[in-house]
Amino acid sequence: MTDPLLTVHNIETYIGQFHILEGVSFEVPEGEIVALLGRNGAGKTTTLKSILGLTAPRTGDVVFDGMNLRGMQPFDIAATGIGYVPENRAIFGALSVEENLRLAERSKGELERKSDLIFGLFPDLERLIGLPGTALSGGQQQMLAVARALVPDNRLLLIDEPSEGLAPVLIEQMMEAIKQLSSDTTVLLVEQNFIVASRLAARYVIIEEGASVASGDMADLVNDEETIRKYLGAA
Amino acid sequence: MTEASPKRPNFLTRHGMLIFVVTLAILFPFIVGLIEGQSPATVIASEGGNSKFLMGLAVEVFILALFALSYDVLLGITGLLSFGHQMFFAVGAYGSGIMLKSLGWSLPLTLLGILVLAILQALLFGVVLPRVHGITFALVTLGIASMFWIVIQSPDVGDWTGGDVGLQGASSLVPAWINTNDHRFRFYLMALAVLVLFYLVFRRIVSSPTGAVMVANRENQDRALMLGYNTLWFKMFALVITSIAAAIAGMLWTMHQPIVTPTVAGLGWVVAALLMVLMGGIGTLTGAIIGAAMFRLLSFYLERWFGGGASLMLGVTYVLLVLFLPYGIVGTWRLKQARVSEGRKRLVALVTGKGG
Repeated sequence: MTDPLLTVHNIETYIGQFHILEGVSFEVPEGEIVALLGRNGAGKTTTLKSILGLTAPRTGDVVFDGMNLRGMQPFDIAATGIGYVPENRAIFGALSVEENLRLAERSKGELERKSDLIFGLFPDLERLIGLPGTALSGGQQQMLAVARALVPDNRLLLIDEPSEGLAPVLIEQMMEAIKQLSSDTTVLLVEQNFIVASRLAARYVIIEEGASVASGDMADLVNDEETIRKYLGAA
Repeated sequence: MTEASPKRPNFLTRHGMLIFVVTLAILFPFIVGLIEGQSPATVIASEGGNSKFLMGLAVEVFILALFALSYDVLLGITGLLSFGHQMFFAVGAYGSGIMLKSLGWSLPLTLLGILVLAILQALLFGVVLPRVHGITFALVTLGIASMFWIVIQSPDVGDWTGGDVGLQGASSLVPAWINTNDHRFRFYLMALAVLVLFYLVFRRIVSSPTGAVMVANRENQDRALMLGYNTLWFKMFALVITSIAAAIAGMLWTMHQPIVTPTVAGLGWVVAALLMVLMGGIGTLTGAIIGAAMFRLLSFYLERWFGGGASLMLGVTYVLLVLFLPYGIVGTWRLKQARVSEGRKRLVALVTGKGG
């Protein structure tokens, strides 16, 4: 196994008075796709937000490429090379497709330099470049959200529920896009759809009631019906 | 990628409506004069008559439009709900009055003083920005503005502010060449020019990458943060530019009105700004100007026609506007325009048999 690009060590996170994460630890090796699995409300999205500093952990460490992110502001964490694709097609609806993409630029002309990659993965977006985000379909909005994270040179992408609410044909397209982008970028993926997660990820981490309870190779989990039934509620 | 980008419209397409409206506004006093039988020379000399009176009313519209425009940038573009925006206006109004009257400053020095005060008060509001959001920010700003409202009415500072009566006579200290009483037409043109200047500056900012981040902050601050933007600086920037605009509006108010009352520092003044923005269409910029015109003209003519019943009629009008035009005049127009355009395309496709 290659050296971990991201190490999450025993983080505990509160939202207000609520103790949401009660000890999450895992590693994300460089160049791999790791899936964060767990039931609804287990703490998967909070784990992503804790890595990003949006809900800063009270204890524990998040180390990215040798740098401890604890105490850093979200915009500084983003600048270290971590991209985020939030759940629910989180684009800026009032802005055009181009403006959404340009917002993600960290240097001038970055969008032009990445246009082959982005519009190769999502050809629809090139056609819709001048339209406001609200005029896009749900699937197109999700593609825009992923495309936006590809504009800067991110080394790690955190992708939250990319298949949520998408038609099967769009899920296939999205999976293909994530597979392609993972050749250059490490991916930490939160995915409710186990079939999607198992086809994409090489490794997994299971979160249960705010704590990491299992991790390993995805190939082993696929054959471990007991673990799947116990923590994911399906076999 | 760039070849798929929409072509930038030419100068006339981008500014044609603005040029038309500004030309109409410049000609407006002469049109009134023509109807009233006044010569253009009389109109320019501002020697009384209906044109001078209507120019005065229009100046109030321009000033309120600038105030509403600043509130639209703060609330409609950046998403910062402030209930203390009236203080930005009142500091301009009272500050310029005190500088002109009590300190005996010249007009350019007063303008400089107001710019400094505007930046300082924006920084004061900005102090709380990292700690409070949403409605809490609105309430904190209301608290700060309420303190200012109480202070200006205090008898302890009555010599400077005029206490609860208001600050009187500052407008007469404005140099004669630009004085609203002696040269109303010049003052009218200046107020119009200031409004147009700020409108163009705000439009430029909103369509720039900085404006895109301000809109992104309004839509979802966390997403903007995760793209690497320190949204605090963009909100601070919005506070500073809107404070400057509102303070300049306040200064123009003092230069135009014989008396500046504490009303301009009260909650009612920011509610008025909110109404103007909502009537015109929030986040549209032009809507704020149209809303301000409607607000002032409706108030004036309803009071003239219905006297004491005007407030009730105004209230009913606002309720009807919100009910039937929930996106405001410009917001609703833009929505309808998109639908009309789509309908036209479908009709053309149906008639020509192309497309589906």
